[in-house]
Amino acid sequence: MTALVFYVFATILVLSATMVISARNPVHSVLFLILGFFNAAGLFLLAGAEFLAMLLIIVYVGAVAVLFLFVVMMLDIRVSEAREGLQRYAPFGAAVGAVLFAELILAFGHWRIAPAIDAVPHLGQAAGETNTAALGDLIYTHYVLLFQACGLVLLVAMIGAIVLTLRERPTGRRQDIERQHARTVADTLELRRLPLGRSVRELGGFARPTSYSEAAAKGSYDPHAPVLSDESRGE
Amino acid sequence: MHDVIASYFPVLVFGVIAVGIAGAMLGGSLLAGHQKPYAEKTSAYECGFEAFDDARRRFDVRFYLVAILFIIFDLEVAFLFPWAVSLSHVGLFGFLSMLGFLGMLTVGFIYEWCKGALDWD
Amino acid sequence: MTHDLGGVGLGPYLTVSAILLVLGVFGIFLNRKNIIIILMSMELILLSANLNFVAFSSALGDLSGQVFTLFVLTIAAAEAAIGLAIVTVFFRNRGSIQVEDVTMMKG
Repeated sequence: MTALVFYVFATILVLSATMVISARNPVHSVLFLILGFFNAAGLFLLAGAEFLAMLLIIVYVGAVAVLFLFVVMMLDIRVSEAREGLQRYAPFGAAVGAVLFAELILAFGHWRIAPAIDAVPHLGQAAGETNTAALGDLIYTHYVLLFQACGLVLLVAMIGAIVLTLRERPTGRRQDIERQHARTVADTLELRRLPLGRSVRELGGFARPTSYSEAAAKGSYDPHAPVLSDESRGE
Repeated sequence: MHDVIASYFPVLVFGVIAVGIAGAMLGGSLLAGHQKPYAEKTSAYECGFEAFDDARRRFDVRFYLVAILFIIFDLEVAFLFPWAVSLSHVGLFGFLSMLGFLGMLTVGFIYEWCKGALDWD
Repeated sequence: MTHDLGGVGLGPYLTVSAILLVLGVFGIFLNRKNIIIILMSMELILLSANLNFVAFSSALGDLSGQVFTLFVLTIAAAEAAIGLAIVTVFFRNRGSIQVEDVTMMKG
């Protein structure tokens, strides 16, 4: 009965992996990849690696496969590309694949687990401890250097992603929150006492607003920049 | 029965019920709805005339940057899970190792903050 | 504590892992039209290695395999992200991601 569960997961995994590499539409490929990851997570569960199974779904399906789908959909890839490369390379690829598979089966078929394996200290899981806690006991103490190396890899990935995809684009006027909070009544409100029959203009005008150069946020206003509408009038 | 399968059986029941309900809704609309498509009804609506082009646009790479940053921080959280349940076992050393990891990723976070990768305008 | 690997033992797990590896390699070979399929085949190869690690970790009762799988998963996710970023920037500059068009570094 439990073997049936294994074979169901394994069969769907292999079939969806085949569809990944042979689907015409790249969106279908990504969806079959997602299906394959779900079934691989099921296989991990059967082997007792619960934390890894859930991690596969959260990280791989939830982040990486979504990223794939993102790029496949946004890059506007045409579906009907010519497949003339298939006839040229498929026999060679099949031969290499068959040789590789035969080698792997030979290696796995003759695999003998060393008889002295029990003498090697095992980092096992204590009875009653969850898989996650057992992994946690190991990663942060025994494998701490690998763990820090992983942190470095993630840091490099972050910096690489920003370097590759961040583009400086000229933005419009932005808000400067500190400046807005620092405004006082004296900056905004001005009361003039007018004698009867006089206007503000003949008394010298309002003091605010001052020129744009002073009132604008720093760096967003250039009084000497050419005004586009004047140039386009063709004078 | 195998203990793993026995303990995850409720998840399977949940999944089957979810798929069953969704399938029943779709199947019900398939069976009980009128299906009389013709060319004009199924074509895309473009204010009365034929669509000029594909609906896809050149995408803005800022969305992609958000997705990448999500992956990185998702992996950071994935490392935080076992630490959270085993902190009492690993003591001060485990705590400090995680602090080092978080410190490195905080450096990256400050970098992307100051570079303006988190701005969206 | 060793699990009994889904009731089937170690052999079928290793066979599935081998098949996935071969399919991934074959996918890199076959693919002429799309760089993204190459990246997905690489994910398949890494998945087969992960499956192998987990199977042996469960058969030997040693959690080191699962710890290493966790690290491989991290590396694979970061690499997929950066690989796709490179593809994106390449497409932005060149307009095509056909494998045959990526020939700028050809000698």
